[in-house]
Amino acid sequence: MLSNIAFYGAVETGLIYGLVAFGIYISFRVLDFPDLTVDGSFPLGAAVAAVLILEGVNPWLATGAAIIAGMGAGAVTALLNVKLNILNLLASILTMIALYSVNLRIMGRPNIALLTEETVLTPWYNLDLEYHQVPVLLFTIIVLAGLVLLWRFMKSETGLAMRATGANPRMARAQGIATGAMIVLGVALSNGLVGLAGALFAQSQGAADVTMGVGVIVIGLASLIGGEAVLTPSSVVRALIACVIGAIIYRLAIALALNADFLGLQAQDLNLITAVLVTLAIVLPGVRTSVAARLTRNKA
Amino acid sequence: MITATDLKLTFGKGTPLENPALRGMSLTVNQGEFVTVIGSNGAGKSTFLNALAGEVMVDSGKIIVDNQDVTKLPTYKRAGSVARVFQDPLAGTCEGLTIEENLSLAIKRGQRRGLSAAVKARYLDQFKTSLASLNLGLENRLGDKMGLLSGGQRQAVSLLMASLTPSAILLLDEHTAALDPKTAAFVLELTTQIIEEQKLTALMVTHSMKQALEVGQRTVMLHQGQVVFDIAGKDREGLEVKDLLELFEKQRGLEITDDSLLLG
Repeated sequence: MLSNIAFYGAVETGLIYGLVAFGIYISFRVLDFPDLTVDGSFPLGAAVAAVLILEGVNPWLATGAAIIAGMGAGAVTALLNVKLNILNLLASILTMIALYSVNLRIMGRPNIALLTEETVLTPWYNLDLEYHQVPVLLFTIIVLAGLVLLWRFMKSETGLAMRATGANPRMARAQGIATGAMIVLGVALSNGLVGLAGALFAQSQGAADVTMGVGVIVIGLASLIGGEAVLTPSSVVRALIACVIGAIIYRLAIALALNADFLGLQAQDLNLITAVLVTLAIVLPGVRTSVAARLTRNKA
Repeated sequence: MITATDLKLTFGKGTPLENPALRGMSLTVNQGEFVTVIGSNGAGKSTFLNALAGEVMVDSGKIIVDNQDVTKLPTYKRAGSVARVFQDPLAGTCEGLTIEENLSLAIKRGQRRGLSAAVKARYLDQFKTSLASLNLGLENRLGDKMGLLSGGQRQAVSLLMASLTPSAILLLDEHTAALDPKTAAFVLELTTQIIEEQKLTALMVTHSMKQALEVGQRTVMLHQGQVVFDIAGKDREGLEVKDLLELFEKQRGLEITDDSLLLG
């Protein structure tokens, strides 16, 4: 089974990807806007935070700047879609590609090491905790705060208007909701969360790398869909909890798969495992209901 | 009050599919008036309503709602004065949101939306009273998802949502056409009741000439993107479907061949 370090490591990364899953929940589920910008806004958040931390900026301020940078990236995608009528998926791919160059420009090189720098985690290591428990504690607090804030927002007048925009844009317009503005706000918010995740990831892993965004969208989707399969999301708060649970389960499943010697899997098989897990998460709920339907039919 | 002057709109201009939907449509609906609109397929009924709501922009002409020129305003900026019920019973509500959330969306129609809780405790009494008037038992199901309701129930709630806040005009776009006859009769009765009680100004498009004469105070017939006749008061009293047809033929020298208009 998993060692202690591997377990806490999986939970720590899972919590970070929980933030990504929040973002993907907003774009894919609330707004029905398939947004791939996240593959660029995740390393963007990491790059902005890393560069600012190297400059001696307070790590929390640097993390805040990463959120704002992520929101900017999301706003660009949404504006390409809303103002220039570019298909949402394509708009997000354009931003994602552009961000690769932007991230290289921001960092000035392909990667930045943060191992010796002061990060948001540094003061927490003074607590009487095991070394690998510290990030889990801090990230749990951040994820819970994000969950409560997002939940409250989705229940607010503006949040409800955003949900209506994704569910029934024609009805939303008829109710006086500026649907274009809601899409910009929502996609910006989504990528702000992903930028935050990138910034935290860089600080906990000790480095920002321009390629660290590859596949973030798939992992985020895997977390979202996996969480939905485990916890049927009938309300906003359940859907948000499902995001976090899905992300942690996903990282634990990956860690287990890589640790199970009898499977013979190695680190280079990670993306293959991801694809298989996502496929299972999408297919399994359907199989479950059809099996249940068949069973009840036989009884009748 | 709403005034449309010389509205012109052509779809697909400059293409082989060019289709002039509105060809100089003019109509004034006075405060508190309930006008029914009829016309065959392609007469421009839905386009006219969409133009009033801002879903389509006219090529030329002017639309004035309560002394404000709204011709160039998008839908969401007109929503404060224009309320709508769509033909599709699923279009007017959000199925993923609860009944109280849908009503809370509607109660803020055309107003600023902030960060305070959308469903407020002080709304609930008003929601319950309004829902109770439908006699569908929905007043006890405020927390249920809209998607659990039938088409007729959803259309009834849409109607309620459209009348929750004051508007200069209520647009009804064949809102009973997609319902079964019994439910359609119920929704139509509810419509006349709400319009009478709240003294609403309303424009109701219908496919049925019979329905057009039975409700409202004035009937307008559209043909090829224009108003062909407009009857109210004494002229309209006692009028039957065949009288309407004669009127139409006299005006246009045409015969109506659209079965759906005659059968409705």
